[in-house]
Amino acid sequence: MKINHHPDDCTIIAYAAGALTEGFSLVLAAHLEYCPLCRERLTDAQTLGGALLMDLQPTQPPAGGLDDIWARIESASAEEPRTAATATASDEVLPGVLLPFLEGGFDSIPWRSLAPGIGHHLFDDVESGQGGVRLLSIAPGITIPEHTHGGGELTLVLKGAYQDEIGYFRRGDLADLDPSVSHRPVAARDEPCICLIATDLPLRFSGMVGRMLQPFIGI
Amino acid sequence: MTITTPVPDALLKPSNQIITDWLLAIATRRDRSAFELLYNHFAARIKSYMIKQGADAATADDLAQEAMVQVWRKAEQFDADKAAPATWIFRIARNLQIDRLRRRKFHEVELTAEADRTDEGVSGHERSAEQIDADRLRGLIENLSKEQMDVIQLAFFEGLTHSEICQRLDLPLGTVKSRLRLAFGKLRTAMGEQP
Repeated sequence: MKINHHPDDCTIIAYAAGALTEGFSLVLAAHLEYCPLCRERLTDAQTLGGALLMDLQPTQPPAGGLDDIWARIESASAEEPRTAATATASDEVLPGVLLPFLEGGFDSIPWRSLAPGIGHHLFDDVESGQGGVRLLSIAPGITIPEHTHGGGELTLVLKGAYQDEIGYFRRGDLADLDPSVSHRPVAARDEPCICLIATDLPLRFSGMVGRMLQPFIGI
Repeated sequence: MTITTPVPDALLKPSNQIITDWLLAIATRRDRSAFELLYNHFAARIKSYMIKQGADAATADDLAQEAMVQVWRKAEQFDADKAAPATWIFRIARNLQIDRLRRRKFHEVELTAEADRTDEGVSGHERSAEQIDADRLRGLIENLSKEQMDVIQLAFFEGLTHSEICQRLDLPLGTVKSRLRLAFGKLRTAMGEQP
């Protein structure tokens, strides 16, 4: 699989630093399963994090010191951090990190129709600032009205393809959009396009049709 | 009268190789003195990291201690072929920060060598030698311009989003992003990567 569109360096750094919403981390993790190049970029960014930590100006050592450490170890009270289970990269159609959200695969997704040819499914238990994470299914040849993004948006193609002002996006490709980008994606003609999308603020539709859709879409 | 024994350089600024040896001593024989050396280097730095991330002093103490407890407990899981030891410790601290300070979930993918499919360039094997070269990276970081260092520090340690960095430095988003890209690109190129 050839991946042509990747996250920005800034997004990779924010992921390595842990400064992304859960929703953005989910979409990036799914892209990483497809993309060995970005796994390398992330490894480098985390190595940078480690190097910076090693040479960080230290404060006073933590109160309690080593005595407190040995006491904690003996009392066995430490909790595991609540990060989600780590997925292993796979070649399956659906990235492993999405399996907990879509146990039955693509066929079992309870699509809600937004407009003719456009289906929508919100992951309602994933936090993403004032935005959210959703799947969008766009029938062949259908266009999403032109819109910009109040904040950032990550769009990962899971199936099919779409074309917009930036380029042609196929399975595994990720569009890393900031507020300056306005686009009007059109699904390719041969099959429906399914995308995983994380936003951290609501979208802004610019045209008349889009503005009419806004209250219904709510995205 | 106090006699000050000079601390050897290796302990003031231990290399990743030395830290790897400490971790392996903990993993294989629960070596408490190796852990104390590791603790002396990292505990105060992790506390400093937590304060930069917005923790108050008591929380930073607690999270730094918790991170070091996890280093002790998980030492067997450290794999020197996958990551530099400082990177592994950084991830422990980062995940605690995400979990306890931000109260967020965070999705990760295993970055193992075997996960690297060979049909797209670099194999896992070639990478692991480069990953260990984290000490060279420390030297390269010192050569970044102050402007680049500032954005890198804010991005990694203060947990700021890019727009928050813009507000802090009073710079447009494009400038902050291009500085981050330049700094990261420079480091990766210097480490022998494709930019």
